[in-house]
Amino acid sequence: MDGKEYYNIKLIVNGKEVKGSVAAETSLLDFLRSKNYIEVKKGCDKGDCGACTVLIDGKATVSCLTSAIQAQGRKIQTLKSLGSWDKLDPLQEAFVKHEALQCGFCTPGMLMTAKALLDENPHPTRDDIKEAISGNLCRCTGYKKIVDAIEAVSKGEN
Amino acid sequence: MNNFKFFKPQSFKELLDIKDELLSAGYPLAGGSNLLVYIKENMVKSGTLIDISSIEELKGINKVDGSIEIGAAETITNILESSLINRELPFFSLSLKDFGNPLIRNKATIGGNLADASPVADTAPPLLVLGAFVSVVSRSGTRKIPVAELFTGPRKNKLEENEVIQKIIIPIPLEGKGAFLKLGQRKGTSISVTSVAVWIESSSDKFRNIKIALGGVAPTPVRALNTEKAFSGKNIDRNSIKTFAETLRKDIRPISDVRGSAEYRTEVSINLLKRAVYECLEMEE
Amino acid sequence: MAKEMTYIGKRTPGLDERDKVLGNVIYADDFTLPDMLYARVFRATKPSALIKKLNVEKARNLPGVACVLTADDVPNNESISNVVGQTTEVGLLEAKHQVLVKNRVRYYGEAVALVAADTIDAANRALELIEVEYEEIPGVFDPIAAMKPDAPKLHGNNNIIAQWKLRKGNIEKAFAESDVVVENTYRTPRQEHAHLEPESGVAWVDDMGVINIRSATQVIEHYRDVAAVLGIPQSMVRIEGTIMGGAFGGKEDVTVEVFLGLLAWKTRKPVKLTFSREEMGFGRQKRHPYILKYKTGATKDGKLTAMEAEIISDAGAYVYLSPWVLLYSTVHSTGPYFIPNVKVDSFSVLTNNIMTSAFRGFGAMQVAFAYESQMDELAEKLNMDPFELRKKNFLKKGSETANYQKITSDVLLKESVEKALGALGEKSTSSGSKKIGRGFACSWQSYGRMTYLHDTSSAWVGLELDGSAVVRSGIPDLGGGQRESLRAIAAQILGLKIEEVHVISTDSQVTPLAGTVTATRALFMSGNAVKLASENVLNIITRTASKMLKVSAEDLYLRDKLVYTSGGESIPLVKVIKECAAEGSMPQSLATYKAPFTDPIKTDVIKDPVFADFTFGAQAAEVEVDTETGIVTILKYASAQDIGQAINVNRAEGQIEGGAAQGIGFGLMEDYLEEKGVPLTWNLATYLIPTSKDLPDIQSIILESKSGKGPFGAKGVGEPSITAAAPALVSAIYDAVGVRIKHIPATPERIYWSLHNSDT
Repeated sequence: MDGKEYYNIKLIVNGKEVKGSVAAETSLLDFLRSKNYIEVKKGCDKGDCGACTVLIDGKATVSCLTSAIQAQGRKIQTLKSLGSWDKLDPLQEAFVKHEALQCGFCTPGMLMTAKALLDENPHPTRDDIKEAISGNLCRCTGYKKIVDAIEAVSKGEN
Repeated sequence: MNNFKFFKPQSFKELLDIKDELLSAGYPLAGGSNLLVYIKENMVKSGTLIDISSIEELKGINKVDGSIEIGAAETITNILESSLINRELPFFSLSLKDFGNPLIRNKATIGGNLADASPVADTAPPLLVLGAFVSVVSRSGTRKIPVAELFTGPRKNKLEENEVIQKIIIPIPLEGKGAFLKLGQRKGTSISVTSVAVWIESSSDKFRNIKIALGGVAPTPVRALNTEKAFSGKNIDRNSIKTFAETLRKDIRPISDVRGSAEYRTEVSINLLKRAVYECLEMEE
Repeated sequence: MAKEMTYIGKRTPGLDERDKVLGNVIYADDFTLPDMLYARVFRATKPSALIKKLNVEKARNLPGVACVLTADDVPNNESISNVVGQTTEVGLLEAKHQVLVKNRVRYYGEAVALVAADTIDAANRALELIEVEYEEIPGVFDPIAAMKPDAPKLHGNNNIIAQWKLRKGNIEKAFAESDVVVENTYRTPRQEHAHLEPESGVAWVDDMGVINIRSATQVIEHYRDVAAVLGIPQSMVRIEGTIMGGAFGGKEDVTVEVFLGLLAWKTRKPVKLTFSREEMGFGRQKRHPYILKYKTGATKDGKLTAMEAEIISDAGAYVYLSPWVLLYSTVHSTGPYFIPNVKVDSFSVLTNNIMTSAFRGFGAMQVAFAYESQMDELAEKLNMDPFELRKKNFLKKGSETANYQKITSDVLLKESVEKALGALGEKSTSSGSKKIGRGFACSWQSYGRMTYLHDTSSAWVGLELDGSAVVRSGIPDLGGGQRESLRAIAAQILGLKIEEVHVISTDSQVTPLAGTVTATRALFMSGNAVKLASENVLNIITRTASKMLKVSAEDLYLRDKLVYTSGGESIPLVKVIKECAAEGSMPQSLATYKAPFTDPIKTDVIKDPVFADFTFGAQAAEVEVDTETGIVTILKYASAQDIGQAINVNRAEGQIEGGAAQGIGFGLMEDYLEEKGVPLTWNLATYLIPTSKDLPDIQSIILESKSGKGPFGAKGVGEPSITAAAPALVSAIYDAVGVRIKHIPATPERIYWSLHNSDT
């Protein structure tokens, strides 16, 4: 209709194959949300807030500045790859226990960043944690309870 | 309305061919942290996105003939985590620790940061003081451009329309010590108001081969040649460092914008330079 | 009610938190309907202009576009509002609001047209096809210039759209008799809410012809605004609120609701509208920038004698809530101090800048920066400890404020300061060019709306046959745990487990209207309403049970689904419920809590009580200031607030910590900049809010006087938590380097020039 070219893609998201058709510039964020991965949040769409953070091959990054086509062949994890209602991930448990959230909008991205951090560095200092989450903005808290929660998991205190 | 195509070359040769064909309408896409923003902001409206993220020739961090060679498509995180760089040139790793934030560092590449040619490109000042080169390739061949000559204006570089940056070559200094100080408006995820890199080869009693470069205070990242001259050959003593640093006024041309006034940028650049020199000389502040 | 506190004052995790960490919550933009259209807003790119030509035909004809609406398509495009008390000098408000620009653009970003299309791409493309020609006309961008008679007028013939005064005693005489007087001008920034979730909603017309709007809003009562614009009965519009991804006052005025109502009504299709981050920048209200001229006098032994202030707020291009924000500023302008002689003149002025309206703190925050800085300056002049000076002047229970209002609750300011300062521990030591300093500030902030508005909140509570309970309340939840507090209150009164209570909230046609989640009123008003309704249900149960057990109803209480006598005898609650049903006295109640009412304000001189009560608190900071760059690092931080009674300790701490964080942003870095009405900082790369690396571990300290007007003696905490942050930081910076920043945010550059420029 509009002369744009679209490309068929096939991604592996949380271990499952997801197919779709996207434009060259379509972001992974828009693709995932169009496929009902609504746990990936759109806060700014310019890489400035971190709400859309996912793991790509284990590294946390913003999906809004990731090309959907380029994400093919890589391991993509959203928040849904963590725990389930019956069995929360220890990080999710800790976020609830420490009230490390209020409105919950930054939480999916924050948890993915925390997950990547602890996978790479199981015993971070508080400063390491603050550095790791510095691309994930939270407007409700002052980050303290978030750092508390991640630290508790790293110390096995959950 | 924008209109883009996507192309993923299967080999380095195919990349050079498509770049030769599309010229400026072909946009190398690695991490996307710059290009996707420009597309969303309608600064770039059409063309072909050329996926360079899987080209082996643009990857790797190696030591070759006394230099460190970093593939243009290596992410900032990979550089920060490289044991080779941490061992051979820890100054360069340290200078990248405040680049963007972890989410961006996992995506942004060193080639992208340099090709973007932003006045505040955080990889530039350290590379300038290290005398680094970029190795640029096209179908017609390879050439080395000193980073000092790469930037021709804000977001303008010296690359021909058919060229891509293949790797960054950093000669490992035989002696000396470096420091990089960045000043932003906040501590996390900040864009530099000013940044200062210093490399001092000798710290015996006289300044010898001091190199100074700055970001955010001119249309491009710049070497401060007049200031280097002011230091050069002079006795090292803490009181004169501040005086020499004042020479920066001749080397920088900052502008005023939402991040700070030209006057403020000038004053803090001088103070940061002084500090960076102290740091290189391991002097107490 | 259960004898002991089971849920009040505990750290009960909320049920919604589990869904939040799992990513299951369906926020406004996460919701879709089949065959849904996507909407976009076409916005003006001039701050002051006439529209000479607007051509939407090409956009209308684009395939996939369902409709393009301009002002001509809006049944009631203009509305006029008047402000109580604003009839004497300012004159009747002639300010109009327009849904879409008819002729004149008054700010950069004003909505001109609406587009709805099959896809977001088609909607975006349609925006590019809209042609508009402007004729720029002179604008005014400075509130002081806008007050001058010859300034270009935004609406009618006066840019001053609100004016309030305080008059008490005789300031001339008092200043003449004062031993010290300090006089300063302060400026505060245009702060952006920067909630992470954009404004968003989906609307559809249902099979009964009702417009349903599912949107992220603090005010579901905006269904009335939608009805007014469309000219249809209010009963034909329903707003179902969502869990919000933050709001802070940014979702208090109408956001997407009117646009969505129009589009759904015209197309008869579901429509989604979500603002982009850029639109949130230049299309949405901010906190008012203020200019505050203060003159404060004291005796040599530190008794405040007089205060005179002129307060000017930049209202931007439309009125919105500016007169009320200014009223808050005026009443709170003295700070929590007894001052016998007061003269305050406040003005809110229209300009061609971005409009300003509600934001956590609501006018009580800007004045705190001024009144606390004045206290520090006085202490300095008197060579007195700043805490000593404050202690001599704190309001007390029973004191009369400058608007002749008696303080009816406890004032734990002294205790708050002691706790906050005490929490900072050992003082760090300066080294080289990095200087350490400490400061604190006190604040007062009303909770609940202005009493002359006769605020009410309704709630329904009922028991199911198995003894579990349902609460219905219109109150929206914006992340502060508004629903959880209501659950805790009902569970407490009815002796139930918290899991046995369900709260249905925020639906304008299903839940009893409870008013807004604004003005720190949700817990105060709806908490009391739920408490009343729960007590009514309890009474129904105990009345019936007393007949069954043949004991007096007063002797009975509920616990664990048993009705107990004081002697320890019990019968199952379900039996009593069955008996109630058999008698036809259903264990359910619709209750309405009425806030204290006062008479409407008649003049712009405020000389009657305006608020139900106040929350008092203090914040303290230790900072390190780098004298060579102006960079401030907050090393330690504590905020102590007397919140009367914590309902949920976790949530209360969350408010105290989050308020401080937002207040720190206001004090140190946040400012939405414009140049002649053209915005410069409309995204989160240029408008900076604190990151995890910018904030210390904020210590939240709860004091409980149990003296508030909320349930169980609670006071409000949502807004009071932000108020004292900026002056505390500025005070700490002064302590570190000896310069007082009078224009916040205290950016590194401002601090640098204060230190290095001999002119300032």
